[in-house]
Amino acid sequence: MSKKDIETALARGVEILEEFLPLKSWLLFPVLYAACVWAVRRVFDYRERILAWQVWLDPEFVRTKPDEFVLDFFAGHDELHREYAAEIESGDLRVLRAAFPALYPVFGLEDAFLKALFKAELAAADYRAIVVEFAARTAKARDGIAPAAADPAFWRALILIGVEAASLGLHLLKDEEVQDMIVALIKGPAGLGPTVPPEA
Amino acid sequence: MNARLLRAPALVLIVALSASCLTHLSRAKQHYAEGQTRARAFQAGQAVAHWKKALDEAGRACRRNPSAQSFTVKGLAEANLGLWREAEASFLQAFSLGFDEGEAWASDSALAGLAASFESLSLEVPALRIYAQLVDKSGFKPALMVAAERRTNLVLARASGLDPSEKERTLAALNKAIERLLDRDFACGLYHYLHAQVDGHLGDLRRSYEEAVMARELGLPSEKIGRDNDNQLVYCYVRLKDTLPAPDRGALTAAQARWAAKWGWPDDRTPAWKRE
Repeated sequence: MSKKDIETALARGVEILEEFLPLKSWLLFPVLYAACVWAVRRVFDYRERILAWQVWLDPEFVRTKPDEFVLDFFAGHDELHREYAAEIESGDLRVLRAAFPALYPVFGLEDAFLKALFKAELAAADYRAIVVEFAARTAKARDGIAPAAADPAFWRALILIGVEAASLGLHLLKDEEVQDMIVALIKGPAGLGPTVPPEA
Repeated sequence: MNARLLRAPALVLIVALSASCLTHLSRAKQHYAEGQTRARAFQAGQAVAHWKKALDEAGRACRRNPSAQSFTVKGLAEANLGLWREAEASFLQAFSLGFDEGEAWASDSALAGLAASFESLSLEVPALRIYAQLVDKSGFKPALMVAAERRTNLVLARASGLDPSEKERTLAALNKAIERLLDRDFACGLYHYLHAQVDGHLGDLRRSYEEAVMARELGLPSEKIGRDNDNQLVYCYVRLKDTLPAPDRGALTAAQARWAAKWGWPDDRTPAWKRE
């Protein structure tokens, strides 16, 4: 395998996905990245996984976690600990509990699609922005993907793209390398503007 | 002579139609069983696909040659897909065709559907009452599992607003209800998971850890629940390790190391999926 081969396969993937998702859709990145991650792990229930983020956690599920669990979650994650140090120190559970439903699915349950959806914020370590954006962006993604999701050819294409990338040795690249490669491909020729994602 | 000539093709036709009905029913059963297997393996997407196929095949079998079996399989597929009203109708048909338990299953399906409707309208009190009724009385596992999960979530949400002693009483009563479910079906991973959640709220980390381990070993109905269970397990383990006296701590660490090796975790506190 060569990095170039993978890049070519991913470029083809972008091209194919653009037939299903709106031109330069900001959903291209999370969908393609998640497909690559899952293909490497040899799991192919993409449809369920991509659609699952919509209902990744029942609201009650998160709402009912004990305060100690919530505190431990923030304190146990280095970057979240840094960001929420003041609240953890003062035991400000109001803020922490409000942030928990957005941050626990991303950091605690580590869903590849959600992580890609908030790549810009994660890269900038702007975790509070994830909290602010979570409901709106996940709702928007749900609406945005609906037309493509109804087309079985979209799911077939996604699996083929993932399988091809995986067969070329995608697992040998670092996560960040794969992400950067996809971002560069999606951005395309200068002037078309970034698409990952618009709110970031 | 003519009658004899006609009889042979008619016989062939009857045999062919019966075989085709049998095929639809047996296919429906195969898909339903495959869906159950996939669900146990956390392959929810494929499980749903198989249940949908089971529903489709069972529907054909019901139309061609209505039988208690075909309506029962149809109802089971519908219940697994959360189509409670449809499941109720199917089980009633199965009952009318001789499936004795069909009436009770229809009634439980109707109650599960009604509770879900109440919840969707934010009417939590009547929903809770129905779920409690199902948890105590239902013998129909799909409805029972949904009711147990929803009831636990609703009670935990309401308990957060209570004063400490009231909260403890409420959660202890909730645990008693879950223990009654475990008495009936100790091999159900979901009940152990629910127990672990309630124990966590009660501060009984040792029990919560043990229940989470059992839940993991017995299997859980979805990946999201499985991951949350792993997080609960690690949370309890780390906290227990910090608080236990040295000999107990050693035993706990050794036990957790064995579990982690069995589950393919890279270390005692990192589930394999965290490396994805």
